Amino acid sequence: MNTLARSLTAALLGASTLTLAAAAPALAETVLRLDEVAVGELDPGKASDYADSILMFNVYDTLVIPAQGAPGHVPHLAESWSADGNTFTFKLRNDVKFQSGNPMTAEDVVFSLERMQALGQGLSYLFNVVESAEAVDENTVAFTLKEPYAPFIASMVRLPIVDKKLVMENLGDGDGEMKDWGQAFLSGNSAGSGAYTVSSHNPQQETVMEKNADYFLDIPDAAPDTVRLRYGLEPATVRTLISQGEHDISSQWLPPEVLKALADGGAQLLTESGTGGFYIKMNTTKPPLDDPECRMALVNAFDYASSIKMIAVTPDVSQGSPATGAIPVGMLGSNPPEDALTSDMDAAKKHMEACATAPEDFNLEVSWIAEVPLEERFALLMQANFAQLGVKSEIKKMPWALFAEQVSKPENTPHISQLFVNAVTGDPDTLLYGMYFSDAAGTWQSPEYLDDAEVDELLTQGRTITDEAGRAEAYKKLNERLMEVAPTIYGYDRQSVFAASERVKVPALSDPSKAFGLDGMGFTFRLMEMQEGS
Amino acid sequence: MSPVVRLLAKRLSISVIVLIGVSMLIFTIARVIPGDPARIALGPNATAEQVEQLRQRLHLEDPIWVQYGYFVRNLAHGDLGVSLYTNRPVLTDIAQFLPATLELVIVAGIFMVCLGMPLGILSARYRGRMADNLIRVVSLLGVSAPSFVWAVILMLLFAFFLPLFPIAGQISDTIPPPHRVTGFLLVDSLIDGNFKAFFSALHHIILPAFALALSGIGQAARLTRANMVETYDKPYIEMAESYGFAPRRIANKFAFRPSLIPSLTIIGLDFAAMLGNAFLVEAVFAWPGLSRYGVQVILRKDLNAIVGTVLVISAMFLIVNIIVDLLIAYINPRIRLANGGRT
Amino acid sequence: MKRTFVILASNPMSLFGLILVGVVVFSAVFADFIAPFPEHRGAVVDFTNFNQPPHWPNIFGTDLVGRDLFSRILYAYRISLMLGVVVLAIAVPIGVTVGLAAGYLGGWVDFILMRLTDVFLSIPPLVLAMAIMGLLEPTLTNGMLAVTAMWWPWYARLVYNVTRSEAQEGYVLAAQIIGASRLHIMFMEILPNCVPSIVTKMTLDLGFVILIASSLSFLGLGVQAPTPDLGSMVAEGGNYLPDSWWLTVFPSLAILIAVFGFNLVGDALRQVLGSDQ
Repeated sequence: MNTLARSLTAALLGASTLTLAAAAPALAETVLRLDEVAVGELDPGKASDYADSILMFNVYDTLVIPAQGAPGHVPHLAESWSADGNTFTFKLRNDVKFQSGNPMTAEDVVFSLERMQALGQGLSYLFNVVESAEAVDENTVAFTLKEPYAPFIASMVRLPIVDKKLVMENLGDGDGEMKDWGQAFLSGNSAGSGAYTVSSHNPQQETVMEKNADYFLDIPDAAPDTVRLRYGLEPATVRTLISQGEHDISSQWLPPEVLKALADGGAQLLTESGTGGFYIKMNTTKPPLDDPECRMALVNAFDYASSIKMIAVTPDVSQGSPATGAIPVGMLGSNPPEDALTSDMDAAKKHMEACATAPEDFNLEVSWIAEVPLEERFALLMQANFAQLGVKSEIKKMPWALFAEQVSKPENTPHISQLFVNAVTGDPDTLLYGMYFSDAAGTWQSPEYLDDAEVDELLTQGRTITDEAGRAEAYKKLNERLMEVAPTIYGYDRQSVFAASERVKVPALSDPSKAFGLDGMGFTFRLMEMQEGS
Repeated sequence: MSPVVRLLAKRLSISVIVLIGVSMLIFTIARVIPGDPARIALGPNATAEQVEQLRQRLHLEDPIWVQYGYFVRNLAHGDLGVSLYTNRPVLTDIAQFLPATLELVIVAGIFMVCLGMPLGILSARYRGRMADNLIRVVSLLGVSAPSFVWAVILMLLFAFFLPLFPIAGQISDTIPPPHRVTGFLLVDSLIDGNFKAFFSALHHIILPAFALALSGIGQAARLTRANMVETYDKPYIEMAESYGFAPRRIANKFAFRPSLIPSLTIIGLDFAAMLGNAFLVEAVFAWPGLSRYGVQVILRKDLNAIVGTVLVISAMFLIVNIIVDLLIAYINPRIRLANGGRT
Repeated sequence: MKRTFVILASNPMSLFGLILVGVVVFSAVFADFIAPFPEHRGAVVDFTNFNQPPHWPNIFGTDLVGRDLFSRILYAYRISLMLGVVVLAIAVPIGVTVGLAAGYLGGWVDFILMRLTDVFLSIPPLVLAMAIMGLLEPTLTNGMLAVTAMWWPWYARLVYNVTRSEAQEGYVLAAQIIGASRLHIMFMEILPNCVPSIVTKMTLDLGFVILIASSLSFLGLGVQAPTPDLGSMVAEGGNYLPDSWWLTVFPSLAILIAVFGFNLVGDALRQVLGSDQ
């Protein structure tokens, strides 16, 4: 570098140090910076993935929220509720105001449900079971279900309440009475009652949120004043920003090596677990995997021990623990941790002999989702494992959008797909029904296209039996059946690991007695604590 | 009509024909390839009816020339359609992301001209000597790696191991960005009189712009040298030397000027190529430009956005080339004098 | 040919270039014998030795599933060179034919073919290839197709310019007078005169094809795992900077060395054959 360039660099460095120094005294306001890989969808009716959930849980409120450190749910916007057959009645708080200043009433709850159903996007399928919702009076709302659905209360954590009046004032172009249901407006603005308001939202870049001073609950002073949620940062960028003190919480999608490097550099590791797993799904309609024996051969050949080794971050923290079956340990119907699955080459070879197709005639398509680099390593692991059986396979990288399109037809669905699936409401029904019920096939969750009468029957029992013990029994049986028909290689029980700076404490993601047991809920900003003087 | 105006008119009309061709080409490519954009846009949980409705709305059921007709009709109203990925008009999206990309390319272009040409002049003046050989090797190295390799190497050296520059983004998080007037952060911060933001933006742009410029710098240096060496061999230089003109003056006046024209042409092409290479550098430095948008819309088969993005980038490409042609016309004494002689 | 080679070998810079090209081609062709772990070009996993910095016997370190990086780079050269050769083998004949036809026949043929060429030339090369590649499935064949689509217009331009000037030459007019067919004139009379500039450009381009192909795979549009590919190695390794630097640095240098070698040779060739631009 010549002298000119060097002095220019020096001048710039000087300038940036100056700006930092100048910014320091005004530190009364605390800023929390985090990132997510996916684009953030602000419209609560379309929220489905992790980034959307973080936005939804902070900008909007739901009638109930999961209890911390315990099963079950506690009142939130609702004061109390009661169930009578297929009717669920909620009594609402009367002191809640939306961020617009409008009071929250039963009308808003009805509107929120109808909007969700009309758009039919995101997690709206959770509410297909609802026949109608009715505002009994200002503060009472009644939901009538088409058929018995035991985990309905759990579903309510996925029904964000939208400010009807505000949305109706801002309808965009569209056909019919409701025009666009406020889609254009809600994709860039908030109409919630949540603890944080949206001050700017750019789906490709970042969403900036501010504390809502008029929130109906007290927000502790330690909660961050401003939150910046940035999208699509590269792992190397996040890694450096955190170690330079310019970023606070990473996404869960950092590779284990990067998390390890951060932990070695003094970052804390936050975890969220118990609601989902890593599922390696086999297309049961496509030969040779339409034969259960062939699937069992692969299930037994998979190297479970290496996969656990691959996701270990530090000796104490890992991105997952050994799987024991289709249901993650701790959830209703799961097996105990000591039943961990292991690979068994001899059994694999036996099943292979019983398989209708000879191994050399296999040509398996092993897909991996381009957005999740870790899956490429699993693809390679499988290719190596299956090669030990003499099975040939081909690795195929697929962007998420393309994958979601291809799985809508069984013949386009690859032989093997790798997916992280979790119970979106924390209840096993929302984990398993979408994956294995025969009529639910054709979505990203169900590339198995499983069609098994016994599985269907048990899944139906799980959602209709109302007593907890009976449900546990049904899921236990289901778990066994799912091991027999082997539509899936149950890779591992997933634990999300986030690297975070020392500037922030997140009890919900570090103290098991404060954990919500619902993905994304740990990112409730009002319960986070910014540390003084750092 | 003066020759310059005639040239401009000719170039503009050819550009329009070319742009129509580009739009047809990319329109066809985007549509003949399998994959259902409606299904991708609506996501995995949409019903078959919803997909069908969207297909109707997008005219995907019509023959391709009818679809192209709709496209042209909307384009005439300055409408490139709505992106299925962001649910916003494609033009709004592009207007949001293009300035950051252009800013990067322009700064890189400045590096290219201000570093590449002087290096070429030096090299030519000291041709055959140590300095010349060194510059030649370095500039050939510059051309020999894609910009993402330079981006990774520069990032590793000057952001990780020697943390002189920030590793990502366009401006520091702690600094409130200036009001958006032009979309160019460097310009907007100056309009605001916000020097903190200006220096932060400058600090952030140097590394990515340099990575983007490196191959251009090499190219510019090599061409300038080659053309100057050629003119150095011309008899009039020898004559100037024998008349006792200072070497510096010979270099500037007699050797550099004439060699400027061919260099400029190639520099124009390089500058335009940087519009494409910017995608690579943006990916490395998390630069909030058109790159991520472009890659995302391509992966999602977002037809309107793909056609719109490629069309706008091609238009930029053509505009740059026209500007270069005009510059050449202005510099070239034959054209300029012809102009003076006729009017 | 032999004379050209002697001239090239006598200049230290071009000699260096020849050596680099020789090394790259040699390692691509004989990768099976040179690579310490030839099986690592495919799906091999070794979780007892993954993500390790350079050490013996993995002189460039190991990747995230425990494969030897040095072996993989050698095999990646093979893929890159193959891609380069195939692309040029398709793009050059197309470009040359278009250029000859437009340049010699003139008139409407000229206008249409050259505007078509302009269309391709006015989409930034990388953007065009990305659009094609992103819409097709990312496989090696489609990668070649995408790069070919952006490459032929340059040859069309080059040959067009040469043809236009050659068409006025005496030998062409002579051939016309004795009644030679147009095809004969184009391919037997004019084409041989374009060869030096085509050959020079091809040498230079072999480097640039490698460069562009690696750019595409860097953006995630390249060949699929487990096939080793320099661009995707850099892209994937980039996620693990700065801790696992070897994952990006060695593939980056590998690209640099190969393209630099071809550029040195191409440059020298251009001077020897006296064909500029």
